[in-house]
Amino acid sequence: MGKWWGVMLEEYLPALVHVVVGIGFAVVALLTNFLLGRAGARSKAKDTPYECGMLPAIEEQPRFSVKFYLVAMLFILFDIEVVFMYPWAVVFREYLEREGVLIFWSMMGFIGILLVAFLYALRKGAMEWSR
Amino acid sequence: MDIANFAEASATLGHYLIVSGLLFGIGLMAVLLRRNIIILFMGVEMMLNAANLSLVAFSRFHPVGGGPAVDSQVFLFFIITVAAAEVAIGLAIIVALYRAKQTMHVEDLDSLRF
Amino acid sequence: MQLAIFWIFSVLMLLFAGLVVVMRNPVASALSLVMCFICLAGLYFTLDAFFIGIIQILVYAGAVMVLFLFIIMLLNLKEEVARRLKLSAFFGGGLVLCGFVYAMVKAVINLPEVWQTAPKLETGGISDVARIGFKLFETYNMPLQIVGVILLVATIGVVFLSSRQLR
Repeated sequence: MGKWWGVMLEEYLPALVHVVVGIGFAVVALLTNFLLGRAGARSKAKDTPYECGMLPAIEEQPRFSVKFYLVAMLFILFDIEVVFMYPWAVVFREYLEREGVLIFWSMMGFIGILLVAFLYALRKGAMEWSR
Repeated sequence: MDIANFAEASATLGHYLIVSGLLFGIGLMAVLLRRNIIILFMGVEMMLNAANLSLVAFSRFHPVGGGPAVDSQVFLFFIITVAAAEVAIGLAIIVALYRAKQTMHVEDLDSLRF
Repeated sequence: MQLAIFWIFSVLMLLFAGLVVVMRNPVASALSLVMCFICLAGLYFTLDAFFIGIIQILVYAGAVMVLFLFIIMLLNLKEEVARRLKLSAFFGGGLVLCGFVYAMVKAVINLPEVWQTAPKLETGGISDVARIGFKLFETYNMPLQIVGVILLVATIGVVFLSSRQLR
């Protein structure tokens, strides 16, 4: 018994506490909402969007503009660029001492290629909001 | 099971390969059974990730120089990158398709030209 | 302990993967796939591939699946109208799947040394991010530039495909 708890406490207690606090916070927030929200219980009249005037003929969710998804896709492509910079930043100094400046120019070439991509998107007006 | 054994027990390569194969099977099922083109695309992503899982498992179970085989992890890094680029392009194509046909149902998308 | 964590994550992962197939609402499917990928990252952690796990969460669960959700909301997809499944397609698919799983299990069982636990690692205090970084910038400089070109091509493709809708 002692061994099992030993391993558990040593390595996984912080993760366990994190999980418990996360789930506990969500449960407490939902429960409080549920209990305190009783006073203003929902009714059919309260859920209608207007108190007077015409009811909407069709329920239409607001649609996103096309611009949003273009920006989201460009975000993914440049997110990848940043992901490649994490290991670069971790090994940069040690690599400079051991092997020389190749690491610097390698990353500069990578960023340069992506800069061309960025300039292309900019020229084509992918980032313009006003139009 | 003995509790001391339980603390020491770790999964074997076979465990990981079978889980990876099952994930691939579920992805295949999504592609075969569903008719929504976005869900089909999600199934393809799932199959890709199943292959990634078996690659990482092999890299851990065949260590090189004391650590996991790093070449395969760098390889996986590139795979994830290319997959993200593929998703961006694929979804752009799906949106263009939807604008042309107003449907996401694969059985309605049966002509090769717009 | 490692075995227990493996079971927790793999069962959760397969459960959420199954939900992706079963759910009728595309938003629910996409959120299940996010959970599936997070559990997959947990499996990577049990394999000591910490950096790959983080990348999985950052890129897949964080960016790719958000794009999926975004597209579903952009196109305002509702729940699918249930159409009759073609029985022949259903059984054909099931047959292919059973054949695949059978072949896979048979291949895995016949592999040599497949039921041995992982060898102990002697990393000497070097983190796997540093290992991957050194490997990447020592051996794989050229592939890195090629990945840059792929991202350039993808950017041009995305902008071109959407440019018709921009005007």
